[in-house]
Amino acid sequence: MWKSIVYKEWLKIRWFLIGFTTLGIVGIGYLFLKVQHGFTFNGGSGFWYNILFMGFQFFGYFKYFPLFGGLLIGVAQYFPETINKRIKLTFHLPLKENNVLLMMHAFGVVCLLISFLLLLGMFVTMSNFYFPSQMVYDSVVSVIPWFLAGLVAYFFVALIVLEPVWMYRFFYTLVAGFFADIYIKSPVIAAYGPAIPGLFVLTILMSVALLFSAYRFRKGEM
Amino acid sequence: MNNVIECRNLTHYYGKKMVYENLNIHVMDGSILGLLGKNGAGKTTTINILNGFLQPRSGECLIYGENSQHLTPATKARIGFLIEGHIQYTFMNIHQIEKFYSGFYPNWKPAPYWELMSKLKVSPTQKISTMSCGQRSQVALGLILAQNPDLLILDDFSMGLDPGYRRLFIDYLREYAKSENKTIFTTSHIIQDMERLIDDVLIMDYNRVLAQCPISEFMTTFKRFDFELENDQVNLKKEPFVRNLEMVKNKVELYTYESKEFVQKFLENNSVGHKGFKQVKMELEDAFIGLTGKY
Repeated sequence: MWKSIVYKEWLKIRWFLIGFTTLGIVGIGYLFLKVQHGFTFNGGSGFWYNILFMGFQFFGYFKYFPLFGGLLIGVAQYFPETINKRIKLTFHLPLKENNVLLMMHAFGVVCLLISFLLLLGMFVTMSNFYFPSQMVYDSVVSVIPWFLAGLVAYFFVALIVLEPVWMYRFFYTLVAGFFADIYIKSPVIAAYGPAIPGLFVLTILMSVALLFSAYRFRKGEM
Repeated sequence: MNNVIECRNLTHYYGKKMVYENLNIHVMDGSILGLLGKNGAGKTTTINILNGFLQPRSGECLIYGENSQHLTPATKARIGFLIEGHIQYTFMNIHQIEKFYSGFYPNWKPAPYWELMSKLKVSPTQKISTMSCGQRSQVALGLILAQNPDLLILDDFSMGLDPGYRRLFIDYLREYAKSENKTIFTTSHIIQDMERLIDDVLIMDYNRVLAQCPISEFMTTFKRFDFELENDQVNLKKEPFVRNLEMVKNKVELYTYESKEFVQKFLENNSVGHKGFKQVKMELEDAFIGLTGKY
């Protein structure tokens, strides 16, 4: 049965996931093209000066990209379930309702994680060409919360899209904005270092929020 | 025979608006029951409660002895569900959707599905979203037949279908249900269709059940008499035997469960002057309107 769930979810998100990942690869390539450009035209010392003393984040363009990915995959996966209340078909499958949703959710998370890890791996590999390991480490510490923000966006999209009452959707959107902001607030390199374990825990806690919307739908809230 | 569906003292409100109170209905194993009612009478509410998408304020519905709010996966596998408008995963094509559903049902029988699909002039890779309403109805029906459920719950199966597809749908369904001893609980806006399909009828009006019996019994016991009153001020509406009375000027349509002799005798005994008294043969739609009124 899980194979059928995976099959359906894949049909929904495949082009969005492939498109997002491809865009990410091109984006990271462009990012390092700009780094190369900076080294070539400003000279190594000028580029380093900007990073060390002006707080320049060469990967700053990338800040909202994982967030966009989470939104995109979440909408691609859950919006088709709400057209004409198709989620009823999903709940009618011979499985426990929460189990079906958690399977769908787990698949979405795995797809996002694969895409994120691919992009992060490419980012780390290319960073190693240009920067010393401490600098690469700090950069990774800086971007991890952004990737976590992508997961948070995905979790909240599921909660919002499956919610049957518009007023609640609006309220959840405000809450989602507040939470996402926590992950992308600080512009200082590696500032999130001590907070990363806490952000991981917070992200995991939010992962099952969609079950609340599903419960409300099945109760017949309208 | 056992009851496949049994709703006991079902009560539901939307806010302060009562849908029904203490509703009791049952569907017997192997029967085809049609739930008829005007818009807003509570048909879809009942279907939603049966499928666990709505929690009633009180009372319960049992399907195969399980509360419909907490059906086990094994029981859900025995129920085929057609959502109003033949809703399906329209981002799939007919091969993808068959592959998807077949993974859930151990008794999956693809033959009836592909037989229906062969009647559709669609390409194998055509998405369901690009099909006509009639073609989508055949996909939804084919999937239910392939699932091979014991109970079929069909919410307004005729919605959006032209007469040809409606007839195809009904003929397939009835033949399938009777040959395989399936139970069907269905609603439809098009009552002529129901007459070809159902064994038992359940007619709901706002807040109450007006009739639940075999359709043959309903059609023989419920009658319509037409006549012209000599005095159009006579009010027969409140007589206990009159289930409904439609009057235009002095022309009367009287609906009752009583016999022709009873009504004629009543009119004579109460000196109600009239002429042109006759019993009118009814189709199910006439009888439905006769019982529930023309709004």
